[in-house]
Amino acid sequence: MMEELLKVENLWVRYESPGGKIHAVNDVSLNLKEKEFVAVVGESGAGKSTLALAVLGLLPTNGSTTGNIFYEGKEITGLGRTEWEKFRGTEIGMIFQEPLSSLNPIENVGKQMSEALEVNKSRIVAKTRLYDYSPASRVMLGQSRLSLMRRPRRVRNPEVLEWLKKVRISDPESVVERYPFQLSGGMMQRVMIAMALSLRPSLLLADEPTTALDVTTQAQILKLMKGLVEEQNTAILLVTHDLGVAAQVADRVIVMYAGDVIEDGLVGDVFSNPLHPYTKALLRCYPRSAKARERLETLGGVIPDLKQEIRGCKFAERCEYVKDGCRAEQVRLVEVEKNHFARCTLHY
Amino acid sequence: MIKPGYGKGKKKRVKLIQKVSFKVFSGETLGIVGESGSGKTTLLRAISMISRPTQGRVKLQDETIFENTKLHQRINGRIQMIFQDPDSSLNPAMVVKDIVAEPLMPLKVDRKKSEELVRVSLRDVGLDEEFLNKYPAQLSGGQKQRVSIARALVSHPLVLLLDEPTSALDAAVQAQVLNLLIDLQKQLRLTFIFVTHNVFVARYMSDRAIVLYGGSVRELGPAEKVLVEPLHPYTSTLIAAFPVPDPKNRNLLGMEILGEPPSIINPPAGCTFHPRCPYAKDICRSEEPQLREIFDDHFAACHFALEIFNSKKGVGS
Repeated sequence: MMEELLKVENLWVRYESPGGKIHAVNDVSLNLKEKEFVAVVGESGAGKSTLALAVLGLLPTNGSTTGNIFYEGKEITGLGRTEWEKFRGTEIGMIFQEPLSSLNPIENVGKQMSEALEVNKSRIVAKTRLYDYSPASRVMLGQSRLSLMRRPRRVRNPEVLEWLKKVRISDPESVVERYPFQLSGGMMQRVMIAMALSLRPSLLLADEPTTALDVTTQAQILKLMKGLVEEQNTAILLVTHDLGVAAQVADRVIVMYAGDVIEDGLVGDVFSNPLHPYTKALLRCYPRSAKARERLETLGGVIPDLKQEIRGCKFAERCEYVKDGCRAEQVRLVEVEKNHFARCTLHY
Repeated sequence: MIKPGYGKGKKKRVKLIQKVSFKVFSGETLGIVGESGSGKTTLLRAISMISRPTQGRVKLQDETIFENTKLHQRINGRIQMIFQDPDSSLNPAMVVKDIVAEPLMPLKVDRKKSEELVRVSLRDVGLDEEFLNKYPAQLSGGQKQRVSIARALVSHPLVLLLDEPTSALDAAVQAQVLNLLIDLQKQLRLTFIFVTHNVFVARYMSDRAIVLYGGSVRELGPAEKVLVEPLHPYTSTLIAAFPVPDPKNRNLLGMEILGEPPSIINPPAGCTFHPRCPYAKDICRSEEPQLREIFDDHFAACHFALEIFNSKKGVGS
């Protein structure tokens, strides 16, 4: 039996904004087993990135949460900064959409990667001057503590080359000498992945890691991530807006809409038999037939204003199956088929 | 033939597009497919004279707009462009009616007529009068892209250049915008040059398609041929790498993609695709393949286009 790695229970996230409270994530529960590849999909504003940030304890300061998050059975919701540092990077790794803003522009690849490895292993406090860590390692290691840390010695960790090879960088000896601006988007993203992996996390959170990349590079990165699950038993939570990406790599798919989980099931079930009208509609919007000019089915309307407290189903405004009961009360997530859940009154 | 190049510094002139020639027929959609750095956007900018080509000729109907290094004719709103990112292509400090009216300014249209044209244009894209005085920040992504389209239509263009018009949009909104574009094309007899990296969108929208790689045309022909039964190995790679929303068809995991897109500054010798091509032979490393007509109206720039095509057919049947 596979072990439960991450468990999120009744998570709510609210952002304070000048116009009122934004209800970004509502009562989300999910769990992730070892070696599982789960994709969280949805349109912009669905709350999928917020969910990932909440798991990492990296919400912006105007965000507040209620609910519990467990990692390997241990609650990590209320952890202090120093405790978080032990998790972030080493236990839970992460990759963000924009590698260019996550890497330090004035340091070469080898140094940034060594730094993450060194500091993480021994938490060295070397004797020289105050050290400006790369944003990526800062995120991984926790900002507060790093600002007090000092520069480790100028040694390149031999593991760096090894990890670059693992992410299929063909010429790692030259890449370690290069600065981020000298790398292509795909190379930078692979450096980020190598950096995240070199700390051997058991869980990798990836927030739209291939959205800014070309399709051929995207294919390479996704294959690489899939390989990790198989070879290193890493569990992955992939946040994406692209149902195609989810269909290609995920074992399980969680569909979010306006902060709610509206469907959750094995990838084969969700795509061949979508239970929620939103998932159905979204799947139909993809142009796939080569028969050009056949009108595409569309989904009218927009995601509701997240500042409003909405009674009942949030998708009701745009739903073709809407009936009176939908707006009356909170719709529950029910198990319709085995391991296939939907939040819709059609399935009550 | 168009050959734009940006003069960068003293040492090197970077060739972004080389020897690209094509015709677009009235009322059709020509899809241009390629990855970043392939020269898609540069090509559109050259056609619209936003960045002047270094060399070549652009003709519109029977009029020569640009020849060699000289601009002969003003475009006067007959070619308009729609950009990828509405957030950076709509001025946040202007209201919708002023944004849409902008292309009319150099045409010296009087105020009354201009207001009328703006209204009609907005109505065509499905935005009613309440939007006239809104700012871009008050609009959703789909509405912003509709405003961009309205702005492009206001000068009654013959040709619309669309640079990834839906790639910043969610799937549901993308479908709405694509439908709208097709309706407008029929209604207003527009000619589209549609740039996209999305093979499925290109297939859906185009009558004919061009595949660009490293600044030159690799394949050209009817869209249902080029994007379904491609001749060039690069086109096959591009199609295979596209994530199909169907877990039963995990095309992406089965494929091997080599290497990185070519450097524009130091492109590889011979065929620029050879370092990534599974079929590359010696001739590919030394000799640049020319665009040849392999089947009727279906061109490819590959030394082995026909052989590869036949061998695939053989395996397939």
